[in-house]
Amino acid sequence: MRRVTGSLLAAAAVGAALTAAITMGSAHAGARSAKADKLVVWVGWSKRELSVFKSVVSEYDAKHPEVQIKVVGSINDTKITNAIRSGNAPDVVSSFTSANVGVYCGTGAWVDLSPYLKKDHVDLSQFPKTSLYYTQYKGKRCALPLLADSYGLYYNKALFRKAGITKPPKTFTELAADAKKLTQRAKSGKLKVMGFDPFWGFYSGNFADMTNYAPLFAATYLDGKGKAILASRFAWSKLLRWQKKLIDYYGYDKVVRFQAGLGDEFSPSNAFEVGKIAMLMDGEWRVAFIAAEHPKLSYGTAPMPVDDAHPNLYGAGSVNGTIIGIPKGGKHADEAWALVKYLTTNDHALAKFSNGIRNVPSTRTSAKSPELKPDPRFQTFIRIFNNPNSATAPITAAGNANLTLVGRFTVKWQAGKVKNLHDGLKKLDRQIDAQNAQASAGGGPP
Amino acid sequence: MSTASVPVGAAALVRRRPPPAVRRQRFLVAVANHSLLIAAAIMFLAPFAFIVLTALMTNDQALSSHLWPHPFRWRNFSDVFHQAPLLRWTLNTMIYSVVATIGVVVSSVPVAYALARLRWRGRNLAFMVVLIALMLPPQVTVVPLYVMWSKLHPFGFHFIGTLWPLIIPNWLGDAFSIFLLRQFFLTIPEEYLDAARVDGCGELRILTTVVLRMAKPAIAAVALFSFLYTFNDFFLPLLYVGENPSHWVLSIGLSEFRSLRQVQWNLTMAATLLVMAPAIVLFFLAQRAFIEGVTLTGVKG
Amino acid sequence: MLLLMSPWLAGFSIFFGYPLVMTGYLSFTHYDLLSPAKWIGWANYSYLLHGDPQVWPAVVNSLEWIGIVVPLQVLFAFGVALMLARARLGLGFFRTVFYLPALAPPVAATLGFVYLLNPATGPINTVLGHLGIQGPLWFQSPSWAKPSLALLSLWGVGNTMIIFLAAILDVPRHLYESAELDGAGPLRRLRWVTLPTVSPVVLFAAVFGVIQGLQYFTQAYVAANIAAGQASQAGDTINNLGYPQDATLFYPVLLYQHGFVNFNMGYASALAMLLLAVAFAVVLVILLNSRRWVHYAGAVR
Repeated sequence: MRRVTGSLLAAAAVGAALTAAITMGSAHAGARSAKADKLVVWVGWSKRELSVFKSVVSEYDAKHPEVQIKVVGSINDTKITNAIRSGNAPDVVSSFTSANVGVYCGTGAWVDLSPYLKKDHVDLSQFPKTSLYYTQYKGKRCALPLLADSYGLYYNKALFRKAGITKPPKTFTELAADAKKLTQRAKSGKLKVMGFDPFWGFYSGNFADMTNYAPLFAATYLDGKGKAILASRFAWSKLLRWQKKLIDYYGYDKVVRFQAGLGDEFSPSNAFEVGKIAMLMDGEWRVAFIAAEHPKLSYGTAPMPVDDAHPNLYGAGSVNGTIIGIPKGGKHADEAWALVKYLTTNDHALAKFSNGIRNVPSTRTSAKSPELKPDPRFQTFIRIFNNPNSATAPITAAGNANLTLVGRFTVKWQAGKVKNLHDGLKKLDRQIDAQNAQASAGGGPP
Repeated sequence: MSTASVPVGAAALVRRRPPPAVRRQRFLVAVANHSLLIAAAIMFLAPFAFIVLTALMTNDQALSSHLWPHPFRWRNFSDVFHQAPLLRWTLNTMIYSVVATIGVVVSSVPVAYALARLRWRGRNLAFMVVLIALMLPPQVTVVPLYVMWSKLHPFGFHFIGTLWPLIIPNWLGDAFSIFLLRQFFLTIPEEYLDAARVDGCGELRILTTVVLRMAKPAIAAVALFSFLYTFNDFFLPLLYVGENPSHWVLSIGLSEFRSLRQVQWNLTMAATLLVMAPAIVLFFLAQRAFIEGVTLTGVKG
Repeated sequence: MLLLMSPWLAGFSIFFGYPLVMTGYLSFTHYDLLSPAKWIGWANYSYLLHGDPQVWPAVVNSLEWIGIVVPLQVLFAFGVALMLARARLGLGFFRTVFYLPALAPPVAATLGFVYLLNPATGPINTVLGHLGIQGPLWFQSPSWAKPSLALLSLWGVGNTMIIFLAAILDVPRHLYESAELDGAGPLRRLRWVTLPTVSPVVLFAAVFGVIQGLQYFTQAYVAANIAAGQASQAGDTINNLGYPQDATLFYPVLLYQHGFVNFNMGYASALAMLLLAVAFAVVLVILLNSRRWVHYAGAVR
């Protein structure tokens, strides 16, 4: 979840502390003194979303006088790694970059949760399979999912009506055609409204590492042995060529100029919310943002279009989530675990959190909770999340660094700097493999 | 350019009014020169002007191509303080700069004196080492230094996340200041020092009484540069307090200002101006000292 | 003597000598600060030379900066100083105007420039638009990002310019007069009188510029992050260093990325060793020619 809102871990902390009282966990510190232990929780959310998180955590805090919870928002992965490696870690950490779980689990930066899970008899099957995948690395589980994300299509109904389009596109060919119909230019040729912006790196939907488009083309990054296969999988070339064709239609420079004048993704001047972009691939949280910032916007949600050659994929999408765990060097591991357990498994906490920030509930029971407030536009994303063809980014020893390499390539490609796509992808594969080898060279997980 | 010349043989001592042709040439040259200067001045001032104008706009105007604020939003300058803990950052920066500068002066003066005026074996070698330390990029030592600080936990105190790893090394000598002061001390005539030695003063006393008094401008220059350098420091604070917002200095805070509030450019520019202000104000108050200090280091070095 | 030198001796050993040796040691290990350093021999170096796709762009960027922008800075500062030296009216005013930008903290100045050079809504392109020119993409274009940084650094040459100005004004009058007597025009006088006399200062400024260029970090780092955010690139979870397309990825930025973003400290140490080798070579060249420069050493940070 790449968003910036406050975390609601506090409320879940209440439930977790209760369970902590029962389970005595492993031997770390664990001294339960008479006065309240201070638990420090780091999360990535900020502002509105942070206050929702804080309200969830405060419910836990109120029921657990033996802990006093302090929530810190706006945390990113650099801060987390910094803190852990310098010995200054908080008690609970949460990250939006599930791709880094390979680093966190592989290096032991986040502690192995299996002893706790076993002690408390936590049933892992309550979590969806994909979420289980992006919270462990090579069998070592050091995180649990805390609400999940899925990506779908947001489209501006008013602009659709104006352009005479009646329903959202289902294939990429239709997407490109609709995008061209919806685009408006000024007399000078400058772009005024873009139908669909496929620029690699633009907002979260278009992460340059292509993770959000991969499931739509059934494209996989690694083979069974963990080697990169972008060159041999035809789906990647197809995706990249489609993307470049659309960029060239707009004009690369024109797109860059247009984007430089857009508002920030998480500000009220978000390009989709103010009608500068007609169709946007974004995460499910956007529903809450629009409700808070532009409630009168006439828009709809649908699954993203898919590769023409794989129409059966329609309804799937890219899936991800916030991960939460206990950092190495944290001082109150048992109480921290209690809080984590509450936040990730307690139906009430998850439902309340999900309602507040409009993220997908991450357990099967909470997804059916009567507390959830229904919203048809939000339902789209729950369906996408549960679609069997939805996929997430690969987890490797180098973590996000692999995806950074992919991103370097795609932005060069769209700028027209890559002469031969196939050769470029082959070189990229080699770079990824070398990087993974270098990251595991220290005797980390092979 | 001018091709006319004073006739050979005319004594330079006789300052006759140059002929009208030459005068006209010189006038044109001066005009051209001044026009260039004015053009350059406009280019140098333009960024400041635009920043000031943007700092007075509303957010929407700042995001558009408007050049002139409509209306003037003076509130921005106070809003900035609500958006971000500017005062705390300033406090952190001041602590860092002031304590580090004092440390630099206190520790570098004796070393520079020993290198300049005392005679001992290995003096030239030591000076060469100082020079080398001065010229190598900090990046060559930054990794092990970080590791060292992260492993030190005396009484449970964590150095990473505080500004101490930046301040402490400045109390053990700073290569640049040592270099500067040594060059300056070299220019102090030996006679003064000999006179003091004859009077029976030990080296330490000579240093504190005679030399210090004479070296005031150099010490002032060193203090000034140290202060400015630490005030503007970004790389080292990024490493050590980057992950601890309560200890951020102004440079870090300003670079993060945009992400704190999902960027409002008008406020960001207002914050930028506020951060630029102290140095500029300081300059206007102490113009002479500034220019002299810079010149001193450059020419006398 | 030992007492006077002691602060520096301690400081040097702890904060320079020891880390330098450790950098060498760490470069042969795989170290992420969580588990003990593991010896892996030459693996880091072979990855550096063969595996890491970002090393070559970083090296080229830094070399371009040193080879093109630093001489540009020296020339520009010298040109401005020349103009100032000839100014009859308002010397103080112009001098202040040209010096002020050098006082702006690097982060603040970079932030200002990224905003000003926004290709869509920035004032510079707006003004150019009124003049009928379509402004380039500045920080959003890989071919214009470095020139944008170069413009930023030229804006701040005030310190160097002041030093040049002092040196130019210091040239003894009688040298000009005798040249004039011999029939030398202004250009000739510049070439044969001014330049030779101030050459040590100019040379030193160039040397200093190269040393600074090898450490160039702050402006590139801040510009990359701010420009990426401005282009609506996704935020926090993305590594924006070098934006766009590695154009602003200078060697120190690369080192920072590997050492303090990826926490690949062994590899970062290997990168540091390479930087050390290059910097040391530069230092040797300087020291071997120090006779010419050592009196004019000292400059501004």
